[in-house]
Amino acid sequence: MTFGDYIRERREALKVADRRYSVRQVAQRIGVEPAYLSKIERNEVAPPSEAKIRALAEELGEDADVLLAMAGKVSSDLQEIIRKRPKLFAELIRELKSMPDHAILRIAREVRDGEW
Amino acid sequence: MIELLHDQLTFRFPEVHEKAFCHIEFQRTLRIPDDNQPYPLPPGLGQFPLSHVDDYADRLPASWRKHGGVFIPMYQSEALWINFSGDYHSGYPFAIKVAAGKINAVSGQPWSNELDPDSQDYVVIPGQPWLDGFNVTEDYIRQFIAMPLGEGFTAEEQITGEGEYGGLQIIVYPMKYEEYIERFEKPALDSPPLEEDLLLMDMPAFCRKSEGPPVEMGLAPGGLMRQKIVEDEFGLDVWDQENGLRCFIHLANSEQYRAITGHRPPHTPPSAKQYTDAGLPWFDYYDDQPALAGSVALGKLTSLAAMTIQKGKSLLGDNQPVEPKIIKQVRRGKTVRDGDF
Repeated sequence: MTFGDYIRERREALKVADRRYSVRQVAQRIGVEPAYLSKIERNEVAPPSEAKIRALAEELGEDADVLLAMAGKVSSDLQEIIRKRPKLFAELIRELKSMPDHAILRIAREVRDGEW
Repeated sequence: MIELLHDQLTFRFPEVHEKAFCHIEFQRTLRIPDDNQPYPLPPGLGQFPLSHVDDYADRLPASWRKHGGVFIPMYQSEALWINFSGDYHSGYPFAIKVAAGKINAVSGQPWSNELDPDSQDYVVIPGQPWLDGFNVTEDYIRQFIAMPLGEGFTAEEQITGEGEYGGLQIIVYPMKYEEYIERFEKPALDSPPLEEDLLLMDMPAFCRKSEGPPVEMGLAPGGLMRQKIVEDEFGLDVWDQENGLRCFIHLANSEQYRAITGHRPPHTPPSAKQYTDAGLPWFDYYDDQPALAGSVALGKLTSLAAMTIQKGKSLLGDNQPVEPKIIKQVRRGKTVRDGDF
């Protein structure tokens, strides 16, 4: 499923229960022309900027990182993290590629130390 | 990094050595009678369930979110002991500081991240397989007992006059890489690591071998128990204080634990009398390592039962003296402080 298809499907699903999710109103709320959002949904233009994708994610109750990935983008904060240690993160991500979710979660679930 | 898996904290230091990791868990146990008679070691009755603070952040007080770490459910006047274990093969040594309400459980001093250079304020594993309470005098501790903050029973309140933190605090330091290599991995060692030490590190979790906020709980000193704090045989300089990992363990009132997590806390443990009458074993741990002296500050603490009387409250329940009939000897590397009940 393309980025455009997914956005359209999610928006239409929300519109069934709430008419505020029309193309026109959603476009207004995220600050783009309705015609532009319509073209995005029909895959006639490339996905919008990171800022607009984040606004769409917020609007539709979706995960911004997932929408960015569907749009072929990596969020700017992740890019910044990778740029600082490109070799380490490239190796790490390649190694994690085939690991099951539970194994990755285990790596990610570090107990956080706070301020005390 | 610190991982939480199967109700056990794993402190891992891959930047120091691949074998530098140890496990810490919190064991449920019965409360020994608080009658100034020394008791042997009570059993382990299973691990306390551990949860990430971050998983329930919206239901916990701001102070818990700030402290981070994990939380466990405890009933009022329930006891716990801390089990330390590590890698069976490597026996990698660690210095571990333990505090309750940010009062050091070995020295009685206020919390600091660093190891005290003048007086040992930490335990060393694998020599110290567990810690059951406050180091009140040489060879004896007073059992860790959960009590609500604000009533003056906890060690923190008795020493500082305030119940600000509660909970348990732990920081773990691995042995320095070069010290470990020198002592344990150098070929043809004159004295290889003791097999017994290594066995001791492999103890299973469940037994002892050889705002609308939740009510914050702290640890009070309970009954007297024979347990030594083993002297550091390596010396302060071997510990890698550049690479410490610390964790705040919050104690959630059991009733409110259910409201926070939706899970039932474990059942209340049996009383010392019920356990003893059922003919179940207590334990005595023997080794010939020198013991640390008790802490003067901790030695002055008033025990839970004594303070209950001082405060004119009704007597502490389930506090009848018992005479343990079966006492199993636990030696370094030998079995058994088994906690089935």
